[in-house]
Amino acid sequence: MTWARLHLLALAEAMRRFAAQPLASMFSVLVLAVAIALPVIAAMALRSVGSAVQDIDTDPHVNVYLTLDATDDDVKRIGELLKAHPEAAQVRFIPRAQALAELKATSHLAEILATLDRNPLPHAYTVRVRTTAAERVGKLRADWAKVPKVDQVLADFEWAERLGRWVSFGDRILVMAWLLLGGAVAFIVGHLIRLQVLTHREEIEVSQLLGATAADVRRPFLYHGTVQGFLAGGLAVALATGLAAWAGYELRALTPDYAAELKVVFIPPMETLAVVIAAAALGLVGSWIAVARELKRFSAKA
Amino acid sequence: MIQFSSVAKRYPGGQEALRNVSVEIAAGEMVAVTGRSGAGKSTLLKLAAGIERATSGTVVVNGQNLGALGETALAILRRRVGFIFQDHKLLYDRSCHDNVALPLRIAGLGREEVGKRVRAALDKVGLLERERSNPVALSGGEQQRLCIARAIVNRPSILIADEPTGNLDPDYARAIVDLFVSFNQVGVTVLLSTHDEAGIGRLGCRRVALSSGTLAAP
Repeated sequence: MTWARLHLLALAEAMRRFAAQPLASMFSVLVLAVAIALPVIAAMALRSVGSAVQDIDTDPHVNVYLTLDATDDDVKRIGELLKAHPEAAQVRFIPRAQALAELKATSHLAEILATLDRNPLPHAYTVRVRTTAAERVGKLRADWAKVPKVDQVLADFEWAERLGRWVSFGDRILVMAWLLLGGAVAFIVGHLIRLQVLTHREEIEVSQLLGATAADVRRPFLYHGTVQGFLAGGLAVALATGLAAWAGYELRALTPDYAAELKVVFIPPMETLAVVIAAAALGLVGSWIAVARELKRFSAKA
Repeated sequence: MIQFSSVAKRYPGGQEALRNVSVEIAAGEMVAVTGRSGAGKSTLLKLAAGIERATSGTVVVNGQNLGALGETALAILRRRVGFIFQDHKLLYDRSCHDNVALPLRIAGLGREEVGKRVRAALDKVGLLERERSNPVALSGGEQQRLCIARAIVNRPSILIADEPTGNLDPDYARAIVDLFVSFNQVGVTVLLSTHDEAGIGRLGCRRVALSSGTLAAP
């Protein structure tokens, strides 16, 4: 019971110290919250971009467009030639009628397309190739472009692949940002707690003389740091969510036609909880280091 | 019992406060440590309270060799020794009640028990009516009595006082001395330092004289 009471007393003391300087405490929490909110916002932005690009096919494809006058024999001949190529993993034929139907269904050009008296789209082959090396893809394009009745050969997967690489790079940057800003949070909490320790120096010295152990002295400061981290984590998530909600609203207003693809992805509840717990843990670590350092400086001396 | 065996204390600056001091204080005894300023009186008391550690020799308090104790064990031992500091060591931003309650809060006692014991200690030293006052509002003698209340609130078996009557007028000093006598009469071991020769006479207790860090003939 005494152990639990000591912890309750320490928590109460931490809250008393917190409430003793409401404005300063609030600003401290706000500074920490902004530091924590930055990677949370970055994470949401990356997830939103990731979500928008995840449906884009980033497999290496080369599209082979035939001339408009290509006959069924030409289609068959070119198809066999493509399938026989060692770099072709899969070959899919897209008839010009199907291409037109898909274009009508997925774009806003249906009305314009309806006014045309003939289908302007050619037959095409989509070839999934075994390589992404620019040199080999370039050779494939050059070889297949020479085939009679082939109009154009495009390798348009590169931008999507590049985008995917950027998203992946963004993820790695985000990890670095988490580490850096996490360190900053621990440092800021540590600094704030250090000031608290210095403010209570006389009380600490008297307490030590009267029999307080290092753990007794440390405990309220650790609770103070943890509570600061916890509140800052909660506020950071609230700030980030508020900002994301506003961004989502603006995005919908700006791009109503693409709203489904460009929606803001919020961080799930479990990860929200993890952010708050991690912030509290950083507060604990920062305050622990600061208190340990300061207590070494003044031991029990009358 | 408090036992000093060949105790020496040298401070980090090189100042040698005590040299080869051996003395025993029996349980329930009252002993006055006398000597001029700088004789080593305060150091001897701090060693007995576990506030300082001996450089060499052994200090045994209630059967515990303080030199063998770790920091945590030494802190816990300090809870069982009431110490009245020469410079009071009061917290002037807290009430009298909070100052006296500090040792009990450190020990983790419940609010009700703390309140009961604090009021009993303040009553014992005649300061119950000043419970909610700030120590700044108290006279020197009252502040001294507040320190005594804080020292006895944990019901220690040993009470140590460093110059408890220094800077007090004779009437206040007599009242303080009477308090220590009353504690000793109920079995508390009392160890105090003083250079008030008249006061020692009133105490009628054993005297340990120090001179330049060594025991001197009384």
